[in-house]
Amino acid sequence: MKTDNRSALSKDAWHTLESVREADIVIGIPSYNNAATIGHVIKAVKLGLAKYYPDKRAFLINSDGGSTDGTAEAVLAVLNDDTYGINLVDKPEQPLTGFSTPYHGIPGKGSAFKAIFEAARYLKARACAVFDSDLRSITPEWVQLLIAPVLEKGYGYVCPFYRRYKYDGTITNSIAYPLTRALYGRRVRQPIGGDFGFSAELVDLYLRKDVWDTDVARFGIDIWMTTTAMVERFKICQSFMGAKIHDAKDPGADLAPMFVQVVGTLFSLMKGYESRWRETLGSRPTAIFGFETEVSPLPLQVNIARMIEKFRDGFDENQLYYQQILSSDCMSKLAEVREMCTPSIDFPRLLWVRIIYNYAAVFQKEGDKKRLLESLIPIYFGYVASFVKETETYDDFRAEETIEDLCEIYEDTKSYLLQKWDEKGC
Amino acid sequence: MSDRKKILAIDDEEDLRIILKEELTDEGYEVFTLGDPAKAMDKIEETNPDLILLDIKMPGMSGMDLLNLIRGKYYDLPVILLTAYSSFKKDIAAAACDQYVVKSGDFTELKKRVRKTLSVTA
Repeated sequence: MKTDNRSALSKDAWHTLESVREADIVIGIPSYNNAATIGHVIKAVKLGLAKYYPDKRAFLINSDGGSTDGTAEAVLAVLNDDTYGINLVDKPEQPLTGFSTPYHGIPGKGSAFKAIFEAARYLKARACAVFDSDLRSITPEWVQLLIAPVLEKGYGYVCPFYRRYKYDGTITNSIAYPLTRALYGRRVRQPIGGDFGFSAELVDLYLRKDVWDTDVARFGIDIWMTTTAMVERFKICQSFMGAKIHDAKDPGADLAPMFVQVVGTLFSLMKGYESRWRETLGSRPTAIFGFETEVSPLPLQVNIARMIEKFRDGFDENQLYYQQILSSDCMSKLAEVREMCTPSIDFPRLLWVRIIYNYAAVFQKEGDKKRLLESLIPIYFGYVASFVKETETYDDFRAEETIEDLCEIYEDTKSYLLQKWDEKGC
Repeated sequence: MSDRKKILAIDDEEDLRIILKEELTDEGYEVFTLGDPAKAMDKIEETNPDLILLDIKMPGMSGMDLLNLIRGKYYDLPVILLTAYSSFKKDIAAAACDQYVVKSGDFTELKKRVRKTLSVTA
C-alpha cells in the first residue's frame, strides 16, 4: 500500500490501484461539478482508446474536487456502458477501466493532477494524457494525438495546438505563450492548453518536485508542467487538435484566481530557471503533428466597456502602488493610457511587455505576492480591451499575427528584463 | 575553413536566386543556391548550411512540403520561408518555420530576419 499523509489519493483509491496493478496508458480527467460535460469527454476517450490502442491496458482516473452535481455518476455511467458498435468501433481486447475518486490536498487542478501522476507512476504507465472535463469539441482522435507521440515517437511531452477564437485564451495570448517563448526559446502555442500527453519519465520528475503546496496545486499546474518539460530538456511536440470548444469565459469576467495563479507560477519559475533564460536569445519552432482540418471556433462575446471600466477603476485605486512597482517611463505611459481610455483604448504592446518585465522582477523580492499580482489584473484588462478593439474586424489568422508581433516584442526587449532583474538584485 | 555562416537559398526563380546570392554575400554570408526543390535534401547534405531560405511556391514540390521533409531529418536547421502572401500561415505546418519574409524588392527585412535567426541561442 502506497498511502502516506502527502498522497493525493485516498486509501480506497490505492486499494483499487493495487487490484489493477499495471496499465500501459493512464488517462486523467480533473473535475469539479462537470456532470453536464464530463460524460462526453470520457466517451470520446473510451472510443479513442478502443480505436487506436485496443490491445493496450488503459486506466482512467477522474480526479474530482468534491463535486455535488453527479459528476462521479456521469463518469461511471460511461465507463460501465458496453456500447461500441454505434460508433463503428469494436469492443477492444482490453476494455477501459477506471474510477472516479476525490483527491486530497489543496483544492485545485494541480492537486487533481498529482493524484493522476501518482496513479500513473504506480501503474507503471508508459504514457499518460490528461483532458479538461468541460471539452465539447473532443473527438476519439484526441487520444491518439496526445498519446502516439509519446508511445511511438519518443516524445516526453505533447502540447495541444488548437484553433481558438481570437478572444478565447487571453491569458495565454498576452502572457503565458509570449513570455514562455521569450524566456526559454521554445514556441509552444498553448502552454496552458489543459490537455497534454507525457511520458513515464516526466511523471516521475513531476512527482519528485516539491511544489504541491504552491499555486502549482491550483491553476499554476499547466504552465508549470510545460515549463518544466521545456527547461528540463524533454523532447516536446505539439499536436493539432482542431478547434477548442469548451466553457470559454469572457476575458472581462472573473478570471482573477486563474490569472494570479498562472502568472505567479510563471514568475516563480523564472527564479529557479534563471540561468536557462538568461542565456536564451530568440526562439525556435516546436514540432507539430496532426491532420489539419478547416475549423471555425465559436465566437465569444466580449464586453470591452466592462474591461475598460475595470482598467480605469483599478488604475485609480492602485496608482500609488503602481509607482512603487513600475519604472517612471512605464508609469507615465500607463497614466497616459488611463487618461485617454474613454470611450476607446489604445494600449501599446511595448508598454504591456515592459510592465510584465517590471512585475516579473519586483515579484522576486515582494513579500505580498498576491497583492502584487492582483494589482496587475486591471492593467491586463486594459491591454486585453485594447487588443480586442484593435482586432475587432480581423479574422482569427490576422489576430494571430498581432500575437506574433507581441511575441517578437517580448523577445526583442529581453535586455530590458535583464536590466530590471539586475536592478532589483534578484 | 571559412567561419562565415552558410545559407542555402531554394527558389525556382533564377533572377531572385542571383539577387539573393549578391545581397547576402555582401552581408558576409557564404551563399549557395538551388532551383530544383527535388534536389534540396542532397544539397543540404552537401553544403551543411546554417540556415535555409525557402520559397513557398515552387513547381513540383511546394515549400511547405519541403519544409516537412527538412524537419523530418534536420529538426534544428533554421528555415526562413519566402512568400508572396502571408496567408500561407493558415497552414499549421507553417508553425515549423523559424521566420517568414514577404518577398519584395527591398531586402532590408530579409537581412534583418536572417541576422535574427542566426543569432538565436534557444
